[in-house]
Amino acid sequence: MSNHAPVLPSPRRPLRVRALVRAASPAMLWLLLCAALGVSACGTDYKSTADTASVIRPEPVRAVFHPSTGPIAVDLVNTSDKPVAIGEFRIEGPDWTSFALVEPVNATVLRPGDRLKLHVKVEAAELLGPGEPIRGAVVEHGDAPEEIAADEYRHGTAHLSFKAAGVVTAVPLEFEDPSWVSQYVLPALIKVLLLVMAFIMPLASLLTWMERKQSAMMQDRIGPNMARVSIGGVTLRLWGLLHIATDGLKMLFKEDFIPRRAHRALYTLAPLFAFVPAMVVFAIVPFGDAVCYGQLFDSLSEADVAQCAAGRGGTPLQIAQIDVGLLYYFAIASLATYGTTLAGWASYNKWAVLGALRASAQMISYEVAIGLTIVGALLCYGTLEPHALVKAQEASHWGLVLQPIAFILFFTAAIAETKRAPFDLPEGESEIIGYFIEYSGMRFGLFFLGEFIEVVFVSALVSTLFLGGWNLPFGILGAHGFSSALTCQLFFLGAGLVLTASGAAIWRASKHAEGVASVIIVLGTIHLVVAVWSAFTGWGTALPHIAIVTIGLLTWGLKVLALCWLQLLIRWTLPRFRYDQLMSLGWKGLLPLSIANIVLTALVVYALAPSAPPAAAPPTGAPPTAVPAAGGTAEAPTPAAAPKSPNPSPAAAGQP
Amino acid sequence: MTIGVKKVSLQRTTRDQIFLPAILEGLLTTARHFFKNTMTKGMGDVDTIRYGEPGVDPKSYYPERFRGVHRLMFRDDGSVRCVACMCCSTVCPARCIYIVAEDREDNNEKGPATFVIDELKCVVCGLCVEACPCDAIRMDTRTHMTPTEAREDAVLRKVDLMSRGGPSVAVQGGLGADYRADAPAADPRFVGR
Ligand code: SF4
Ligand code: SF4
Repeated sequence: MSNHAPVLPSPRRPLRVRALVRAASPAMLWLLLCAALGVSACGTDYKSTADTASVIRPEPVRAVFHPSTGPIAVDLVNTSDKPVAIGEFRIEGPDWTSFALVEPVNATVLRPGDRLKLHVKVEAAELLGPGEPIRGAVVEHGDAPEEIAADEYRHGTAHLSFKAAGVVTAVPLEFEDPSWVSQYVLPALIKVLLLVMAFIMPLASLLTWMERKQSAMMQDRIGPNMARVSIGGVTLRLWGLLHIATDGLKMLFKEDFIPRRAHRALYTLAPLFAFVPAMVVFAIVPFGDAVCYGQLFDSLSEADVAQCAAGRGGTPLQIAQIDVGLLYYFAIASLATYGTTLAGWASYNKWAVLGALRASAQMISYEVAIGLTIVGALLCYGTLEPHALVKAQEASHWGLVLQPIAFILFFTAAIAETKRAPFDLPEGESEIIGYFIEYSGMRFGLFFLGEFIEVVFVSALVSTLFLGGWNLPFGILGAHGFSSALTCQLFFLGAGLVLTASGAAIWRASKHAEGVASVIIVLGTIHLVVAVWSAFTGWGTALPHIAIVTIGLLTWGLKVLALCWLQLLIRWTLPRFRYDQLMSLGWKGLLPLSIANIVLTALVVYALAPSAPPAAAPPTGAPPTAVPAAGGTAEAPTPAAAPKSPNPSPAAAGQP
Repeated sequence: MTIGVKKVSLQRTTRDQIFLPAILEGLLTTARHFFKNTMTKGMGDVDTIRYGEPGVDPKSYYPERFRGVHRLMFRDDGSVRCVACMCCSTVCPARCIYIVAEDREDNNEKGPATFVIDELKCVVCGLCVEACPCDAIRMDTRTHMTPTEAREDAVLRKVDLMSRGGPSVAVQGGLGADYRADAPAADPRFVGR
């Protein structure tokens, strides 16, 4: 075969700058154009076209009460650049008797940027039935209006109005008592469908392809590329993406083999035990902040979204908001051990039992490390609830910054928990197969898919705990929009440049990818145009709610995808540990380090806690800025406006 | 007798024991390959030959000295060049060449009465071609032995072998030590393969 070179059309061509320029010239033209526009924009003295009519911005723009809601704080912020007189606060509307201001407010003058804090409460008892028919209910076909039962609440509405700069503005106040179904069941079902059907399952199946394609690319091979579909003479190969479907079909049609002396019931159940926990833990993962019903196209403030995240007038983008969220994760993730153990035991195969033993020993050992590494983050942010954890990161710094050691330890232990290389001793794909050695067909497929779902979950958890969940870095995107027009331009410029450049690179790389590449280039160009548009108009500080939600979802998805990629990279780079090395890494490496991390974090948190006297500089190596979480943030002059930043109390942190 | 225990002390630096720097290096190496292969033209360092893929002519990937199914060459008068010297059947490691010699009609040379190659046994080593003193047997057909329905169809006889044959430019009896210098121009049919 050494002689084939002269015959071959050479597959490699040297990279030449000129070829690169030619291939990327459309993109470069766009870049030049945009740069020219940007330069000309710099010379233009643009004026913010922000809405001048609403001088005073209420936060939230709408207050929603439930029967158990306490007083709601309504901030009135002066967004203009001159002082505004504000007064004549009153509560009006159909149910004005049921709502009240907690403390009387006097007319005052708000300086630019000042916020006036009002507290509104509701007398829920006055809205308790039985009473008149539901007000405002649409009565169709002459139906009698619905009567309200004895201990049900009726819908109540009013508004808080005030006069500022001669204009009367009203903040709607709403009281509702949604049924359990409409408050919890329906949103949860929709979110489950959204998350599972639109994200987890597609991503997990994509990973089965990505694993092989990425490993091939890393090892200078081609990888799966032969599955194809022909529609009317057009053959689609899509870089082997169709292997996902063909593999699924293959597994469905394979013989479903059960060893003769296997325990049939447990043998059947074991794949479910491995698969279901991997799916169920996703319930606690927040994949976005919150959606506010009926306000999708309004520009909302932090207070609005916080209200929706609490389930009032919206729903958090998280399937189950459990206060003990991370404990729930530990509880469920430990159940996955049963899947492996039962699979090994029920197969009636000594190698399977041995594999199961390895798996359970490994998973149990590394769970300890996982649990302890998270404690550091908990000390910093003071909550176990993932959504609150992300909000706390948004308010201070990402976990990656405050807890870099914990990040590495957690990531390592979590990879060990998924039983993938370099910790794949339970399976040992290339030699020993391990606990599912007897499984075939779709039963094996469940183990296989469960493993990839765990990969997705680890990515989701890492991005929740350490990478700020759905947030863009440096807090450039708040609930209302970008923090300033400049960050908006920088964001779109950066995203546009990255997209256009990678689109150009892909265009150059393969003639089959020109379609995809052109889509990416067009997307990048749109980003650049938006950046230029923002430079002209100052646009970007007040985005519609739905745009914020979409950006959040995309950010979260991209983070998860990138972490999945990283996990695959690790899996195909590192050699496998020996079993004693695995155990000593777990017990002698990760465990002491994570305990040290806890002690260090606790000390720093204790030293910087507000009630303690200002202490000396934190010990080196510790996250030095551990406590901006506790202190006020830059966003609010009144620190009480951020109840989301929990202060780690000295009592909790006082273990040392 | 005591059993000696040899203690091997591993020279591990702190850097080795932290793992992380080495891991990072490894990840960077693989990531570099990943991006080079996905983002550059012609798939970067991927050397895989797209043999057998649809739309790719497999013959364009055949090496120059590809060994295909055998053929027997002609003399100028159209008779087979083989002189039944048995060199090939002797050298054949698979013992798959079977020759029965006979007298040629026109002169006192030998020729094959039977010339059979069992292509199922043949290991495609090409030794028969090298052994042949008169350029009678060749494997330059650039065709694989195709699968056959019956076993006998894979056993090629003289007619089958000669049906692929052609005239040879080699001079019968050889040219002596300087044959390269004096050889006539190559057969145009095989130029530019
Ligand atoms: S190629 Fe090798 S095995 Fe085949 S006939 Fe010639 S010598 Fe025998
Ligand atoms: S093919 Fe060549 S080596 Fe074989 S018997 Fe004929 S002349 Fe001799």
